[in-house]
Amino acid sequence: MINTILCALGLSYAGMASLSLAMDRHHGQVWGRDAAPNVRRALQLAGAILLALAIWPCVAGWSATVGVVAWLGFLSAGALLVALLLPYAPKVLFRSSLLAAVAALAGLVTFLQ
Amino acid sequence: MNAVKVDKVAKTPQQGGLRQAMAWLHTWSGLWISWLLFAIFMTGTLAVFDDPIGHWMTPEHALEEAAHANDPPLPKVTDRGHRLELALDFMAKEHPKADMWEIWPVQRPGHGLSAYWFQPSGGYGSADLDPLTGAVVEHAREATERETIGGHHFVDFHYELHAGRIGVWIVGITTMIMLVALVSGVITHKRIFKDFFTFRPAKGQRSWLDAHNAVAVLTLPFQFMIAYTGLAFFSDDYVPAPVVAQYGMENGKRAFLADWNDAGKPERSGQPLAIPALESFAQRAEQAIGQEIRAVVLDNPNDASMRVCMYGWNEDTELLTRLSANTGRACYALATGEQTALRLPGKSDTGGAGLTRTVMSNLHMVGFGGTPMRWLYFFCGLAGTAMMGTGAILFMVKRRQRSGGEFGAYTQRVYRVIECLNVAAIAGLAIACVGFLWANRLIPVGIEQRAGWEVRAFFGVWFVMLVHACLRAEKRAWIEQLCLLAALCLLLPVLNVLTTGDSLVAQIARGDWESAGVELCSMAFGLLAAWGAWKVHKRKEKAARKAAGKESQAPSASLQVTTEGQS
Repeated sequence: MINTILCALGLSYAGMASLSLAMDRHHGQVWGRDAAPNVRRALQLAGAILLALAIWPCVAGWSATVGVVAWLGFLSAGALLVALLLPYAPKVLFRSSLLAAVAALAGLVTFLQ
Repeated sequence: MNAVKVDKVAKTPQQGGLRQAMAWLHTWSGLWISWLLFAIFMTGTLAVFDDPIGHWMTPEHALEEAAHANDPPLPKVTDRGHRLELALDFMAKEHPKADMWEIWPVQRPGHGLSAYWFQPSGGYGSADLDPLTGAVVEHAREATERETIGGHHFVDFHYELHAGRIGVWIVGITTMIMLVALVSGVITHKRIFKDFFTFRPAKGQRSWLDAHNAVAVLTLPFQFMIAYTGLAFFSDDYVPAPVVAQYGMENGKRAFLADWNDAGKPERSGQPLAIPALESFAQRAEQAIGQEIRAVVLDNPNDASMRVCMYGWNEDTELLTRLSANTGRACYALATGEQTALRLPGKSDTGGAGLTRTVMSNLHMVGFGGTPMRWLYFFCGLAGTAMMGTGAILFMVKRRQRSGGEFGAYTQRVYRVIECLNVAAIAGLAIACVGFLWANRLIPVGIEQRAGWEVRAFFGVWFVMLVHACLRAEKRAWIEQLCLLAALCLLLPVLNVLTTGDSLVAQIARGDWESAGVELCSMAFGLLAAWGAWKVHKRKEKAARKAAGKESQAPSASLQVTTEGQS
């Protein structure tokens, strides 16, 4: 169960972070400049994929019905974390979301069986 | 409501389209219910963990449990048939007239053999029996055991305010207005996607608005769901017409609930029939539903119409994977031995609509998904609580800078009332909640109606906080109440050591995470309150600085527009 939670939370957090960094205001908070159009596109795509992938551990760990409810909850939790970290520690947000994405994607392998 | 809204907007200086109308609606519908809704949300959030809180509030029970933690698990019941016989004998001797006999013959924590029945005079009777002899077990309450309502206080308060049906209605109307405020808030918030992640701290009004928006928007699915399912929970109270249309005015609801809970209950025929051995039916039912049998319900005992229904247990692991908390159920007509009804676990015997209703209430009560889901609900509930709190505070923060003059000559007086209510509803309620836990330890064990005194302490503390908020200047009131809250929360583990001798370290050492969780959470909230008190204390210098340079710090035009549109 702990695996499910960490995976779902990591993916939603990283996905939301990616979506936020695709926005000029938040891109600026981390790197001091607006995002280039193709970077923005890539971040949005990555964010959408990560958020969509977060359904997987939820459905695998609970079930199709409970998993969707859990997924919506994790999306909220991930977004709240991002919104709280952005003004206080934007660099930490970027690095930790990168780490979360890698770790959670690796963790997804355990759901392959 | 529409007519009133348009009418009022026409009188305000900021005229204009839908968004302004919605902003007005959001501000005023939101403000007047925010205090009550804050209380409903905060206690509802605590109600998510009503069991752990109840566990903490019965320390004797918790310690007793801990002492037996390493005992081998009780053996699985092998003499169920014998237990059923014992219970049937007891019922035949003591309550032969009852229409319904219900027997719990299975060994689970707190159960060995129990019998329940409908008393002819109405109401539910119960007795615990010795599983070996069938003798009634008398539960003389031990003098050391403290009587308490436990975590159910928060459950009861959040849906009925301890006021019965009237409370249910007040909460229902408040919830309706909350849905109005949610929808109007979404329409008002024109930069909902642009500001999705935006929180700008330490910027006064701007920060309160950001915080209000962030917690509301980011947890919007939860807020809609919890408000909607809360209303759906009491749909037959709030929207009685369908039930009245089907079942009539007189006793309509009772008939509906009888059908709802138990469709196809047989009518008494008057022909006698001896009760057969029920164990074979229990085994058939276990085969049919795939769950261990929890309850055996016998309708019309000793009558030819006699029917037995077998109910299963929901194992914790089953509730991880389904939204419906219905157990399995199989019924048999005892005259013929034929199976008359079968419900598999998680399914409904009242069709799709019935299943929807069950799922709605279970969604609200988070009776699925296990502990992780409870924590998700807890955090989303805290976000909802923060949404109400920041909304109410934002109203005053905005008007402290520039009065709206909404109430003519009375404006300042009304603002003062709102300030007092803000302090009492937010900090005061939090103090009352932790005060309830303090009362649990401080009220002497063994006094009459002890559980009632705990609840009275909750309301008493809350009332004192209201009086305090009215007597003190706003800033002092905030600081003093937040400091008191911090002290009560941080000292809760100390109180526990002093009154029961059970410490946080000991709880963790014996793996009692329910008790430890309550105290750790309490300390976390204590730190948060201390931080809040410190922030309010610091606000002093800032306000003074702001007054000095008021003109130069006028907010930019665009900011003005968004805040105007918002609140």
